[in-house]
Amino acid sequence: MTAAAQVPGLASAQPTTRPKQLELRVGITLIALVVLASIFIPIFNTTDPNALVAAPLEPPSLAHPFGTDTVGRDVFIRVFTAGRLDLTLAVLGVIVPLVFGTILGTVIGASRKKALDVVVMRFTDGLIAFPFIILVLMIVLIVGPEATIPPLPPGAPSVLAATWLVNWTTYARLARLRTHILRQEDFISATGLLGYSRTRVITKHLLPSVWPTTATFAVSDLLSIVALIAALPFLGGGIQPPTAEWGSIMYEGRGVISQAWWISFSTVGVVLLLGTGVMMVVDSLVSTSRRALLP
Amino acid sequence: MIAIVRTFWGRILQIVLVALFVTIGTTVLIRLVPGDPARSILGARASDESVKALNSELGLDLPLFEQLTNAVLNLFRGDLGTSFAFRGQDVISLILPSLSVTAALAAIALTLSAVSGIAVGLALALTKRPELDLAGRLVMTVLLATPGFMAGLVLLYIFAINLGIAPAGGWAGEWPDNAKYLWLPALALTAYLGSLVARAVRQAALETIGESFVQAARTRGVPRRRIVMRHVLPNAILPVIPLLGLNAGALVSGAVIVEAVFTLPGLGSRLVEAMASRDLPVVQGIALLAAVSIVVFNLLADLSNMAADPRLRKTH
Repeated sequence: MTAAAQVPGLASAQPTTRPKQLELRVGITLIALVVLASIFIPIFNTTDPNALVAAPLEPPSLAHPFGTDTVGRDVFIRVFTAGRLDLTLAVLGVIVPLVFGTILGTVIGASRKKALDVVVMRFTDGLIAFPFIILVLMIVLIVGPEATIPPLPPGAPSVLAATWLVNWTTYARLARLRTHILRQEDFISATGLLGYSRTRVITKHLLPSVWPTTATFAVSDLLSIVALIAALPFLGGGIQPPTAEWGSIMYEGRGVISQAWWISFSTVGVVLLLGTGVMMVVDSLVSTSRRALLP
Repeated sequence: MIAIVRTFWGRILQIVLVALFVTIGTTVLIRLVPGDPARSILGARASDESVKALNSELGLDLPLFEQLTNAVLNLFRGDLGTSFAFRGQDVISLILPSLSVTAALAAIALTLSAVSGIAVGLALALTKRPELDLAGRLVMTVLLATPGFMAGLVLLYIFAINLGIAPAGGWAGEWPDNAKYLWLPALALTAYLGSLVARAVRQAALETIGESFVQAARTRGVPRRRIVMRHVLPNAILPVIPLLGLNAGALVSGAVIVEAVFTLPGLGSRLVEAMASRDLPVVQGIALLAAVSIVVFNLLADLSNMAADPRLRKTH
């Protein structure tokens, strides 16, 4: 889902003093499982993800654990090769807006000039009301589905452009909100009394306290971007075939789902492992109140 | 009362601003799309004169500023222009049927999410068996990690293909037969939204149970059922309306993709078609309608929230 969906819980997200250790560990394990599988499986299993290795639509077997697809490619190797691409794009898609949005939000939050604040906030209001998926599709149309930046495959630049253009808004809002809260705190008021420069207050005092909030959101944003990239092939955009990508594998599987469930389902399974891990990590970082019982 | 009026006009102003923002934004974006729209309508073999003529007929040869003022003026006349691909067809009349499909899908998903989310959230907060609560939270975590279209793929396989109790996609075109095609995609959207509601309700219910007025009611010997219905439930469902309002955008985006999985003729398929044929006025119209409906939805959420919670009417 889109980034905005996660905001309500996270606007108040503060790192807890005592994170829920078990949830955090299970979450990290699940994420690591998918990441390591995506890194190492294509190294040890040297099948070409685009090679025709068997008859089309073969059910899962020892030789092909996730079966074969509509033209006889090995789904197992395709899913994990796709994992490399999707995870790389998701990380790239998160880091740029995270850094830009956090710094911008902190700066306008700390600034005493109201004009800048009003302009940026109204702009983000407009962008947030704009249905994200439609904006992404328009950007995909402008950048063109064939645009490439080596070594990324065709379609990747449009996906990245879309997330970079839109996603910083959420980080900027979160950072601005957090900065406003921090400005009430004694240690920030003290920096004013001590006569520290604006730059020093922002880099040494505000940003270190704003980071944890925006970074927590970035973890769940990672999942939104994976979902977005995977949704695009269903809407005629995204990474272009024959490159192995989670969305295009699922889209291909949708067409033959009555004969070959394993094409879509193996991908759904891997994405769900990753997603559940991400949700657990986020939950463990966001404080929730204790459970009281009604007798 | 003043708070309600202020909220109302604030949102109306926001609708106007969003409409302007989207119209200007899409007009500029469309200018950036590479290629000549008239060329793509008429085909590669059309003569340069006819391409030129069509461009001036569609107003695409005007300077950007003039295109912008025209678009904004037309917007206030309620005119979204005519389609490029279906020549002479009014954009609004092209989009409205698809919008009704998406709106019906979103409405069913919202109702299912609210009802199931409140029921599950309350049940998890009230259960005396911690393992049940833990299991419920685990399921919610997995569902929250499931994008709507992936839930759609799984449901499609289970209910439509294996059990055969729903069609595997398509559209009847008339009510009430349409419901047969809508419940499964709506369920796919509920997987996420319903879990979000359930989680918020569970949390709010637990907080309410910890409040002193509930403890006081217990001490007075008020029956458990009455405490739940009179004290816990009204407070536990308070976050539901704002939560759904905040997720209106996510719901529209989700619905657009889920429609593609279930081949419903909603805004999603209309959009994909318009994108493919470079039917830019239709793309612009869909963006505008979707954006405005999100703000309208937020307005409705604000108003019903104020109706539900008297405290909101007094503050500000």
